[in-house]
Amino acid sequence: MSLLRAEYRKITRRKIFPVMTLLLVVFVGLAAFFLIVFGEIAPEVAEGLPVLEKPSVYTVGAQQAATQFWFPLILAVVLLGGELSTTVWATALTRDARKIPQLLSRFLTYSVATMLAFLVAFLLWVGIALFFAPGEGFVETDELVGVLWKSGLIAIAWTALGTAAVALFRSVGPAIGAGLAIYFAEGFLALWDPWENVSLTAASTALFDVDFDGIFSGLIPGTGLTLWHQLAIIAGWTIMGLALTWWGLQRRDA
Amino acid sequence: MPPNAAAIRVGGLHKTYGKTKALQGLDFEVPIGRLTGFLGPNGAGKTTTFRAILGLTQPDAGDIEVLGLGVPAGLPQIVKRVGVIVEEPGLIKTLSGRVNLAVAADTLGFGHERIQEMLDFVGLSEDADRKAGDYSKGMRQRLALAAALLGDPDLLILDEPLDGLDPAGQHAFRARLRDLATAGKTVLVSTHDLADIEALADYVIVIDRGRLVTQGTLDSLLEGGNTRVRVHDVSGARVALEAAGFEAQQDEVGLLVMSREGAAIVRALAEAGIYPDEVRPEKSTLESVFLGLTGLAVR
Repeated sequence: MSLLRAEYRKITRRKIFPVMTLLLVVFVGLAAFFLIVFGEIAPEVAEGLPVLEKPSVYTVGAQQAATQFWFPLILAVVLLGGELSTTVWATALTRDARKIPQLLSRFLTYSVATMLAFLVAFLLWVGIALFFAPGEGFVETDELVGVLWKSGLIAIAWTALGTAAVALFRSVGPAIGAGLAIYFAEGFLALWDPWENVSLTAASTALFDVDFDGIFSGLIPGTGLTLWHQLAIIAGWTIMGLALTWWGLQRRDA
Repeated sequence: MPPNAAAIRVGGLHKTYGKTKALQGLDFEVPIGRLTGFLGPNGAGKTTTFRAILGLTQPDAGDIEVLGLGVPAGLPQIVKRVGVIVEEPGLIKTLSGRVNLAVAADTLGFGHERIQEMLDFVGLSEDADRKAGDYSKGMRQRLALAAALLGDPDLLILDEPLDGLDPAGQHAFRARLRDLATAGKTVLVSTHDLADIEALADYVIVIDRGRLVTQGTLDSLLEGGNTRVRVHDVSGARVALEAAGFEAQQDEVGLLVMSREGAAIVRALAEAGIYPDEVRPEKSTLESVFLGLTGLAVR
């Protein structure tokens, strides 16, 4: 508990978390404007864009918020990278008898922080949808539970990749570069059929079972995968990320 | 641990980064219960040595023992017993000094009961609830020292802790280190400032180019090999000493004899009917010893 308390104190007082959350909210707000508001205020210009109606618009919102994969990647890299650049914390993380609790406390904190940020962005989407989306209905409890566990899995998997990047590169700049390279490469590869079967982007995106009509129809990767297949892919990448993080932290030259 | 055991024992340490040989067979021992100065010019390998001691750098060869435990096997136990300030202290500027210590205690697995005591010790009690980002560099260093002391460590390793501090900050920090030495803690301090070592350390290790140059008590290092002679008849004394086979130089203070045989010097002068006012070993300055040992003055 003391380790979690320390991580909570650190993350709540660092500027990086609210700043990145604000950025996430802006991104999701722009998506909401583009996909919900634009069709309402300028239907002639928005021709071809998908029409999102209540209540399915909320599921789309959850997907839009939770698939901002850059957020957990960068958050984990910056926070863990900052720790590894100081001898005291690097020693605690890599040489302490409590290395596993040290790592897990950070991993858990970053994942929960990411989930919270996703939730804030999702609530913004819900607020916009309430006013502008056509149709009736609100988020069902089952739907909300689904949003939470799915966004949680996504947060954990992508946080694991972020911690792996910083543990392997031992420097924030190269680790952010590597993380974003994985993010973009994975995004493109997800559109390639053979890779789609193992793609974290595809599995994470398709987890919400959303498909668009209009010009985005059929563009979401991974929609053909079963839920178990998606979960297996996410679990596999999470395990790989954690294993690489552990291996990277064990290397003697920290 | 045996009574005469060293707090740190390093043997045959080698470390190469690419083509740079950072450590080339470094050997030294840090005695228990003393404030040891770790001295060396830039690039001598001081920080690499400290990182190797803490297990953060893997040496290519060599053995390290800390508090009787081998590195890396004993690191999980060693980490609990060693307080460290190496490179960045790892403070969070948006947290107060007190909360920084609470975070450090939680992260390092120590209780909170020593936080106030350590704030008192480093003289930060009145500023404990201000953000660390508003502290001066000297205050931040003292806060880092408080964090390093939270676990009541047997050994403190401080890498250039006085670097960049103003005179008042240096004075306050030195005073705390002196208190720790008086309390019997083993403290290993690296610094560029020879005056710091002269003012603080009672044992000195000098390294250069990744090798040990010398180690010993500060007194033995400064003892030098010369004898100062003050006498009325300087010219006569010089002739008498040179006749007795001593090399002597005349300066504004008197005579500097290139020998530590004080009794023989007095005898030679007495045989010539000259009775000196003072005969004493001439101490070197740490600067002259350091420059002489490392050859930096001519490099």
